[in-house]
Amino acid sequence: MRTGVFFENYHGEEQLWDSRTAKVWMAIFVGAVATLPWWGSDYMVAMACIVGIHLIATMGLNITTGSAGLISLSQAAFMGVGCYAVSWFARWGLPFWLALPLAGTLAAAIGMLVGLPSLRVKGMYFAIATLAAHFVLSFLFREWTPVTGGPRGVTVPPANFFGIELAGDRRMFYPIFACALLLGLAAANIGRSYVGRAFVAVRDRDISAEILGVNLLRYKVLAFMLGAFYAGIAGGLLGYFYGAITSEYFTFSLSVFYVAAIIVGGLGRVLGSVLGAVFMTFVPESLRLLSSALSGSVPALASLLLPMGQVVFGALIIAFLIFEPHGLAQVWARVRRTFHLWPFRT
Amino acid sequence: MTQNRRQVLKAAGAAAALGVGAWRPAFAQAKADVVIGAAHPMTGFMSFAGVASNNAMGDYINWRNQNGGILGHKIRYVGEDSAYKVDQGVAVVKKMIASDKPSFIFLDGTPLSKAVARDVLATGSVMTGGFSSSEALLDQKVYPHHFLSGPTFGATHEILMEYIGRVSKGSGTTPKIALVYTDQEFGNEAIPHSKARAQKLGLPIVQEIVTKPTGVDVTSEVAKLRRSRPDIVIFQGYIMNPVPEFVRQMREAGINAQVMSTTYGLDRIMYDALAKNGERLTGVMPYRYGYDTESKMMVTMREYVAKVRPQQESISVFYIHAWLTGMIFCEVAERCIKANKKLTMPNMKAALESMKEWDTGGLTGLLADLSTHQIKSGRVYSYDPALKRMEPASGWIRV
Repeated sequence: MRTGVFFENYHGEEQLWDSRTAKVWMAIFVGAVATLPWWGSDYMVAMACIVGIHLIATMGLNITTGSAGLISLSQAAFMGVGCYAVSWFARWGLPFWLALPLAGTLAAAIGMLVGLPSLRVKGMYFAIATLAAHFVLSFLFREWTPVTGGPRGVTVPPANFFGIELAGDRRMFYPIFACALLLGLAAANIGRSYVGRAFVAVRDRDISAEILGVNLLRYKVLAFMLGAFYAGIAGGLLGYFYGAITSEYFTFSLSVFYVAAIIVGGLGRVLGSVLGAVFMTFVPESLRLLSSALSGSVPALASLLLPMGQVVFGALIIAFLIFEPHGLAQVWARVRRTFHLWPFRT
Repeated sequence: MTQNRRQVLKAAGAAAALGVGAWRPAFAQAKADVVIGAAHPMTGFMSFAGVASNNAMGDYINWRNQNGGILGHKIRYVGEDSAYKVDQGVAVVKKMIASDKPSFIFLDGTPLSKAVARDVLATGSVMTGGFSSSEALLDQKVYPHHFLSGPTFGATHEILMEYIGRVSKGSGTTPKIALVYTDQEFGNEAIPHSKARAQKLGLPIVQEIVTKPTGVDVTSEVAKLRRSRPDIVIFQGYIMNPVPEFVRQMREAGINAQVMSTTYGLDRIMYDALAKNGERLTGVMPYRYGYDTESKMMVTMREYVAKVRPQQESISVFYIHAWLTGMIFCEVAERCIKANKKLTMPNMKAALESMKEWDTGGLTGLLADLSTHQIKSGRVYSYDPALKRMEPASGWIRV
């Protein structure tokens, strides 16, 4: 039984996983997820793909908002940039492995422009600036027909990875999983690097951070660019996954979805992004499945549960905020601590 | 633990396992020969349409099963909620394809229809229809499995322009037309067709106003209309709001233009709201209204609804649309079964395209021609304040 960890140097304290047991469990989890297309049903694989895409966008927003404290309401718009970008790159004949990072880079470049006002305004005022960016980009998605196809949207041909066509969910799962894993590791590493510490300093006390030598403009814009890059990658993967996308997908509600995900999951933590994305995707789906399952035996309850699902979902979010404002990641940490210290109480 | 207790626990465990196994069939319906699935927007901002369409499809299938099914084959209906969200709709459709293996799926709109196209095509045995009237879904290279249960947005406007052209020829005046539409596909897809047909008929379009579907600053938009002084204002893409307020402010501004709309914008919710202010709505409907007495199928529909859902006051256009889509699904299945062909996509497509003069029981007025995967006909209706409902203002027009 582990009751705690003892580090003899800073290197030990900076490790991503604090014990061999944690590393083994993480390896088992990653292995199980990686083999999902072999043992999972079509529905499970499809849901895993959707969760993976949302996870990438959520991790990006957690860097921008959770780590650097910059409230962004334009994450969905950056996803749209990534999605339309891969469609264009595919038309130009660029392969998937090049189009995707380029889409992320384009989204990051636009994120840089959107992040520039952060030096002059902060907090809710900056959030409004990002909201404006969202509406500008949404307008372009709808009206710039030669590029975005207008309201009709665009089609994205199946991804091709060195001759292997990634058609179907079971094949498309792998690039989504790989991107989520790599970007998750990147986000964790950013968090424990100088850049991550600078983000936190900017979030907590930007004036003090500046006095300590942190270039505010550079790190605020960098946080925004990183968040937008992640969103661009998620948007690109979304385009390849669905094959056709319209501007109606990238709504303000989707941006709010991601903000809710990082708050419910836990700000500033990669695990928070994972738990938040999973929660926000699966809870409404679970309520729908429950309603569907009950429709045969208790149709009155099922018909009530279906429209009440959104109310229940909202109530769950509020309950989390009241009882655990640090999010599901903190709940997870408490559960772990309980098991580590059992039979002693925390 | 004594031997007896162990035995009891084993027996209890076995009974529980059997009980679970026995419980599941109670909730699974009997296997049916033809499965029709649907992803309706039963929650969310489109729930007014989704609830109606779910009821309609369920009602039609129940009625059909009570009347012999499809040549003796029973039909099983699986209706799920998509909430008009692409993610949820895709999950629902994929789950349905994996577990229920439907031959037909009703989809909630254009975004979902496009998003699931690849998966549907990959099955090789699913045909889809739905709420969308987008001509993009008529692309046979990309969506050979899909059909529209009515005309496209553009076709309804062509019908409307034809009607305006005929009336203006008769009256000897050329009306000025203003187009007010939403920035979504429901609104703006029709406009290029509208303008092209208007130009061909010599009808001037004096103003175009684009708004969001809801939350519109009506005052500033009406100010634009004041300058152009149209004789006809066509609203496209609105289910109700902000049209009544728009029209009220138009009258206050001295604009006495005739108000027109199409299909979903001609439902009872709209014409009743306008009638409260003394307005008479005119527009193109691809189907008869729910109170029609000339159509045998409409009478059947009305009688069935009165029997199973007596609290339902009226039959909406969404209900009729879904009922008709159910009819098309069953007709396609029937043609395949009659020809002794399996319900594969190529066979179903061929069956659909063979429906060139198909009797919809009068729902569509004319015999339906689905050879081009749509029904390109409609009729102009106008509000009758005496009868307090929409009445025909033209014959059936095919474009």
